[in-house]
Amino acid sequence: MTAAGSMLVGVDVGGTFTDIVSVDEAGLITPAKIATDPRSSDGPVLAGAAAVGVERATVFNLATTAGLNAVITRNLPKVAFLTTQGHRDIPDMGSISRPVEFLTQPRWRRSFGDANRPIVPRYLRRGVRERITAAGEVFIPFDEAQAREELRLLKRCNVEGVAICLLNSYVNPAHEQRLKVLVREELGDIACSVSSEVSPIAMEYPRATTTIVDVLMKLKYGDYTDRLQQGLKAAGFGGEFNYADCRAMLMPASYAMERPYRLVVGGPAAGVVSSAHFGGMIDDGDLICADVGGTSTDISVVLKGEPWVNPTFELEHDLNVSALSIDVITLGAGGGSIVSVSPTGDIRVGPESAGADPGPAAYGRGGARPTITDTALLAGILAPDAFLGGRMPLYPERARAAFEALETPMPLAERVRQAWAVGVHNIAEGIFNISVRRGIDPRDFTLMAYGAAGPMLLPAVLDVLALRRVVVPPHPGLFSALGLLSADLSFMDQRSAHLILTPEAAPKLDAIFKGLEESLRGQVKKAHGEVEFRRSFDARLAGQAWVTPLIEVGGGDITPEEVGRMQVAFHDTYERRNGNRFTRFPVEGVTYRVQAVVRSPKVAYPSVAPRRSGGVPAPAATVTLNFIYGEDVRAQVYQRADLCAGDRITGPSIVREEMSTTFAPRGRSLEVGAFGELIIT
Amino acid sequence: MAPAKPSERPAAPTTEVVRTPVEGACPECGRSDLKQYPVLAFGGWFQVVKCQSCLCSVRREPWTRLGWITLPEEGFL
Repeated sequence: MTAAGSMLVGVDVGGTFTDIVSVDEAGLITPAKIATDPRSSDGPVLAGAAAVGVERATVFNLATTAGLNAVITRNLPKVAFLTTQGHRDIPDMGSISRPVEFLTQPRWRRSFGDANRPIVPRYLRRGVRERITAAGEVFIPFDEAQAREELRLLKRCNVEGVAICLLNSYVNPAHEQRLKVLVREELGDIACSVSSEVSPIAMEYPRATTTIVDVLMKLKYGDYTDRLQQGLKAAGFGGEFNYADCRAMLMPASYAMERPYRLVVGGPAAGVVSSAHFGGMIDDGDLICADVGGTSTDISVVLKGEPWVNPTFELEHDLNVSALSIDVITLGAGGGSIVSVSPTGDIRVGPESAGADPGPAAYGRGGARPTITDTALLAGILAPDAFLGGRMPLYPERARAAFEALETPMPLAERVRQAWAVGVHNIAEGIFNISVRRGIDPRDFTLMAYGAAGPMLLPAVLDVLALRRVVVPPHPGLFSALGLLSADLSFMDQRSAHLILTPEAAPKLDAIFKGLEESLRGQVKKAHGEVEFRRSFDARLAGQAWVTPLIEVGGGDITPEEVGRMQVAFHDTYERRNGNRFTRFPVEGVTYRVQAVVRSPKVAYPSVAPRRSGGVPAPAATVTLNFIYGEDVRAQVYQRADLCAGDRITGPSIVREEMSTTFAPRGRSLEVGAFGELIIT
Repeated sequence: MAPAKPSERPAAPTTEVVRTPVEGACPECGRSDLKQYPVLAFGGWFQVVKCQSCLCSVRREPWTRLGWITLPEEGFL
């Protein structure tokens, strides 16, 4: 049931499908899946909402990747970019980073990203004669006549929106504010984003791209939100309408529309929030989260109950947006990953995928190349008549034909065995690399396995990689959408100021944090209830060009003693991330951030009763596992709905449910937890 | 703006490329405000003829700053 005894609806709009899930007062989860219409994605959302009975809901949470897809495909409105004269190529220059393999390649050019396909064409990037120094003083006065001339030109070009990012405006926004007034006077009431309001932080490149993305998202989501609100109202919904941001935290729709750059990637983080929420319920805060879908595996880390958060994220190479985001790494490995033969004769799996159309060969939709799903079918893990609750038949003979068509002298059994082993190893290697990169030891972590193919593939990773255990949560196929019903409301504001952390800086730091909190207090409505403020800052050792992000700061007044604690917190965080501690160097604060978090109703998974009779559950069937162990092995099959808390099963065994199949490998044991989660060790 | 002599300090606060007026009308907006000047875009240097009213690019030809001499950084696109 839900925490507040109310009905919640979560909607995850993906590129192919829109997932809708509702949880009613009694805890009943109702899913719906509707094909996304890229021309009008509000239609499927409203249809799905009606299908799950949105009129009874009190909360409607939406995550969408429509913004990300629009940027990647450059299906964007016509906007202009106004900056300080002589700097209109800021978006092309980027952060002047290049992939490591091209560091010594003089012929390298940015053949991707916004260099060849700029999000604002060069002729719409105009310079304004002005200059403010890094200290905030006016070096070249703002030339209003020249600015008006440029704006009139943009009017003739029929731009739909304007992004303004002048140099050093985060220190002194006067010129930007004046330019914003001129935009209103010359261009009327068009979408306009100003960097000192959107992202008032140092470094003009991420500030510029964030502001451009903001104005693009204003145009992309403005009408969309209006249509959704009207549609939901017409459907009888009278509750709270929230968007999920890049951190899968929720924002009221009206607040989100004032800073829509935070919505650009709303979906992928939801599964991580879901994992952190469920991890809290089973008292496990250190998690590696793996969402195995048809095409890819999204991996992220939850440390001590908190998702690993970055202060910026890349929409594509070097196209940065300065928003808090959950760090999700994507591997090209999933249920649809194609099995092929490499030029040296080895079996290879992925990164190409059969996708949803034609899909794996076993779907019988014309796919001729074998995939991991075909491998699992031939191995006996998947049943031809039990896929998607029996609604979708699988064709083993087509999977077999696809494997036999591979150009290799290996016998069929060896092809299937190697395909399974390589598929599992690919994911294990990805998890190992990601955990090592973050300085964590996978032996201390639980692998949370979800996504349609996660419970089938990830328990086998235990045979390759030393992990504490694998946990398959309830409803693994819907787990990401359920993450939208596991998050809190969040309001965030940030400022930049380069201040060496000394006792003398305390009054300035105090004013910054209190100013941010005051600004947020004005944005959070009283109806939202009690607010928890979380302070953090990004800092560096004096002289460094990069920052150590998200160092926590205590509440209350920033006194000289508190500045001392901030210094210690910086060195602790620095040592945790980099392995070294340089306490003799002064610390320079760069960006200061305050988050206002309001507790929101969440999905609460019902507990599962223990088995009264005790002992081992009776299997529903027994199947033969072929190929993957080099010999035929008998495995018992259970229905997940029949399992009770405390049940113990010995592998190899298979647990089936409507949207997923869990496979516990030979030699492993599976235990059912208090909430019905499957714990494989 | 006429270029300053090498020995003179420029009088204007900024320097701008010389734009040469070109005969003709813009095919987009019909105004006869065409000018020719070099532009550095992501594809390299171009000599362009653009309408100064609507920024329509009437002509756009690859160009090198030193005539027949091609600098290494200009030759790899």
